[in-house]
Amino acid sequence: MIRRIQTAVRNYCVFLGRCARIAFVGDWRYYAWMGVLTVISLLGLNAYCRQFADGLVVTGMCDQVSWGVYIANFTFLVGVAAAAVMMVIPVYIYDNEELHDLVIFGELLAVAAIIMCLAFVTVDLGRPDRFWHLIPGIGQLNFPASMLSWDVIVLNGYLLLNVYICGYLLICRYQNKKPAVWFYIPFVFIAIVWAVSIHTVTAFLYVGLGGRPFWNQAIIGPRFLASAFTAGPALIILALQVIRSVTQYHISDKALLTLRGIVQVSMIINVFLLMCEVFTEFYAGGLHIASSKYLYLGLHGYHALVPWIWTAITFNLTAMVLLVLPVSRSLKWLNLTCVLCITGIWIEKGMGLVIPGFIPTPLGQIVEYSPSINETLVCFGIWAFGLLCYTVFLRMSVPILQGELSMANERRGTVPR
Amino acid sequence: MTDQPSNESRRDVGPEREAGGEPNPEGMSRRSFLRTSAVFGTGLAALAAGLAPLLDVKNFPSLQQFMQKYYKEMTPEEMAVVLKRIENEVERQYGIRPHVRDLKPMDGVEFVYCLNLTRCIGCRKCVHACVAENNQSRSPEIQYIRVLQMENGSLDMEKAVHDYDPAKVPEKGHFYMPVQCQQCKNPPCVKVCPVHATWQEPDGITVIDYDWCIGCRYCEAACPYWARRFNFAKPSIPKDRINPEMDYLSNRPRSQGVMEKCHFCLQRTRAGRYPACVEVCPTGTRKFGNILDPNSEVSYILKTKKVFIQLKEELGTSPRFFYYFDV
Amino acid sequence: MKDSTKTSIVMYALAVVFLVLAGAFLSRGWGQTPALQPIPLVDSEFLKTATVRTSYAELVSSKADLSDFDCYGCHEKGKPPILRFDEKHNLIVPEEHKDIVMGHGRNNRNNLCTNCHDENNLELFQTRDGRELKFSESTELCGSCHGPTYRDWAAGAHGRTSGYWNREMGPITRKDCVSCHNPHSPKFPGRQPAPPPHTLRPLNKPAHEGEREGEHEGEHEGKHD
Repeated sequence: MIRRIQTAVRNYCVFLGRCARIAFVGDWRYYAWMGVLTVISLLGLNAYCRQFADGLVVTGMCDQVSWGVYIANFTFLVGVAAAAVMMVIPVYIYDNEELHDLVIFGELLAVAAIIMCLAFVTVDLGRPDRFWHLIPGIGQLNFPASMLSWDVIVLNGYLLLNVYICGYLLICRYQNKKPAVWFYIPFVFIAIVWAVSIHTVTAFLYVGLGGRPFWNQAIIGPRFLASAFTAGPALIILALQVIRSVTQYHISDKALLTLRGIVQVSMIINVFLLMCEVFTEFYAGGLHIASSKYLYLGLHGYHALVPWIWTAITFNLTAMVLLVLPVSRSLKWLNLTCVLCITGIWIEKGMGLVIPGFIPTPLGQIVEYSPSINETLVCFGIWAFGLLCYTVFLRMSVPILQGELSMANERRGTVPR
Repeated sequence: MTDQPSNESRRDVGPEREAGGEPNPEGMSRRSFLRTSAVFGTGLAALAAGLAPLLDVKNFPSLQQFMQKYYKEMTPEEMAVVLKRIENEVERQYGIRPHVRDLKPMDGVEFVYCLNLTRCIGCRKCVHACVAENNQSRSPEIQYIRVLQMENGSLDMEKAVHDYDPAKVPEKGHFYMPVQCQQCKNPPCVKVCPVHATWQEPDGITVIDYDWCIGCRYCEAACPYWARRFNFAKPSIPKDRINPEMDYLSNRPRSQGVMEKCHFCLQRTRAGRYPACVEVCPTGTRKFGNILDPNSEVSYILKTKKVFIQLKEELGTSPRFFYYFDV
Repeated sequence: MKDSTKTSIVMYALAVVFLVLAGAFLSRGWGQTPALQPIPLVDSEFLKTATVRTSYAELVSSKADLSDFDCYGCHEKGKPPILRFDEKHNLIVPEEHKDIVMGHGRNNRNNLCTNCHDENNLELFQTRDGRELKFSESTELCGSCHGPTYRDWAAGAHGRTSGYWNREMGPITRKDCVSCHNPHSPKFPGRQPAPPPHTLRPLNKPAHEGEREGEHEGEHEGKHD
């Protein structure tokens, strides 16, 4: 029995060692890509060190607008993480064999996205050295009253879930074993429900605040999900094409078109919900629509966000039209549509949701927000780090899925480096 | 999904790698070793240099500070140790020895604030008395009280002016409404804090444990009265204006990255005195006291006056702040 | 070009970039925290809690100079002072009392010395209902007309309260009417407000702020030092 455990542990260590080594090996394009990402990550790290030393005064935030691009990016990426698991549904519920392996790419994207989310929340904290106060049992986690406490639990749980599922499937493929159904299918279904929950909990962070009428609306939850399921699969469509071109992994167009179907329906729902929101606010009017007026029309002469939101709406509407037309079946148009979706939803859900909630302040003051250089560098740094993680994950998983990296071609007697 | 074998063997990838892209276990060639170590070396140098701003960190928390317990879990002995630490730190930073206490709420006391909108002239003396009493940062400027110049006949805050600065106040056609933490009975900030760093004490004051707050600013987003302030930088307090009479939960100097707000001057009120804003108000606009005492002036006001405003009453926060008019 | 050569080029270029980056980080060429705007400290006048005036009772208890209240130092006992009026029946304040500005009530309706002062005994007040009050009892005099305000004052709701709200721990300090109000011209004059708040970020007020009236354009640099 002990020998079996010893062998299993040894095998696992060898597997991890080989995965780690392969992450540092690639062709010149790989090194160039990783190099650029590393440079941007280092710029971000340096900017964050400055913020850690001098405080959040180096950002563009103030007491009037106390959340900015960090939380905007966090919100967007939670959606991506939730939606990455959307691919699971056609595979496991509709038994689509074509997409089976692609589920892993989706879940790896979810892992990278969650890492980015956790990074964005950490850089937003005033006292990140007190993170241990959030650990239930050791700290004082305010569960279940605080939605942020729910978010801490569900995001970390989701991370563990996806790491487990991908890790299990990959090690089974590595060892050329058929994955045992009970070790992963229940977790996959849990992940589907959990994906919806992480995004709903993030939506409830905003919805639960009665003092901010721009957020205190029931439609925010559904809008989050609809926009997440548009931007997430759009990102995956683009990622899959990149995988297809830099590796020899075969991804059929049929898989891409299935994802296109998800993006299509989600974008239509997203636009419909936008119309519902705009009607609800502007038909009756009243004092509580001040934030919506600021966003769409400008308020008392302040209009910094107006060009942004109308660009986002234009992108979303264009994307919706393209998605409905058969022209987006061609990859060139599909890629353009995906870029429009991602950008439009990033603006709408990021700057277009977080910032107007603070303008005007509950006492009627208007102070506009724009991110500082330092803040922007930190954001780029975290995005670059996330892409770095995702590239590493793919660099490890594609050879495993292709059978090039497997137990069979382990060298006996090799000292793992 | 894997079909034809990889094309990589057709490309010359060099002797150090095999078909699967793995490094050749027999060892890298010298060329490869040179370039790998060049990248690694310079990469590590860039990483170390990137971390250079951390050298500027002032007051990095000691292990004792890092492990400090939550306020409600500290024994009186542990609290005494913490108060001593705070006194030493303040003396080190500002050159005067403060007196830091941990006053407990009194029994049978629930504080309530009444503010007479007929009388406020908008002079902002309350704002600055509060800043002086509570050791607030002067730059970046933190002020717990915000006086709004409103237009007669309307409570629409969108029309409020925050930065009025005429030669003389009050100005015709306006009334003045100072807003600070309303010490709500049903506080949204307490609900949303992820680490219980802010809570409501039995005497009605919503307090913050500055050494427990993680600075997420969720409470600032949740407050419907814009009453909470965040320390975006290390607070700067002029040494000659420090108030040495301090309390753990109220006016001891705060650190960078934590929240703060009006706490009804609990270092004064829990010792039976009026808050600084009440004392300095030249027109007697501000009234403070124990609502559970039928002889207090706040009880009198709530019994005899007719028109009360609780700001944003419809949100259900039940503020303990009552604005009234003389009728 | 062979792949391995391309890889070498990329890696050496990367090494150079890292080196430059390290240098750039150490030179701290960007991202420095901008110095915070120097905000002048508020004038300590705004922190003072003293009342603008001192009542007779306070003068007595602080043993201050009471020569201003020695009416019969100039007036003759038994001879009521003569009041003069102009053609509009407005009181002409005599030269000796030129520091008194009459403004008690709108439309000059209370501008008559003998409404409050007893002309037969200048060291006393007289109320409408015939009571006679000493100078130290001036609050009763005010209360004889201003009923609701007096009632509020007695309960602590009008005027300043300072000291201890908890009477068991210490005394509350109440003020007489005349500590704040000038009895001859009780309405408070306007006063200069303390400086407005400074926001951490620039306000960037637009040229036309739409519905807001009576506001100054641009950011205030403050008239205060």
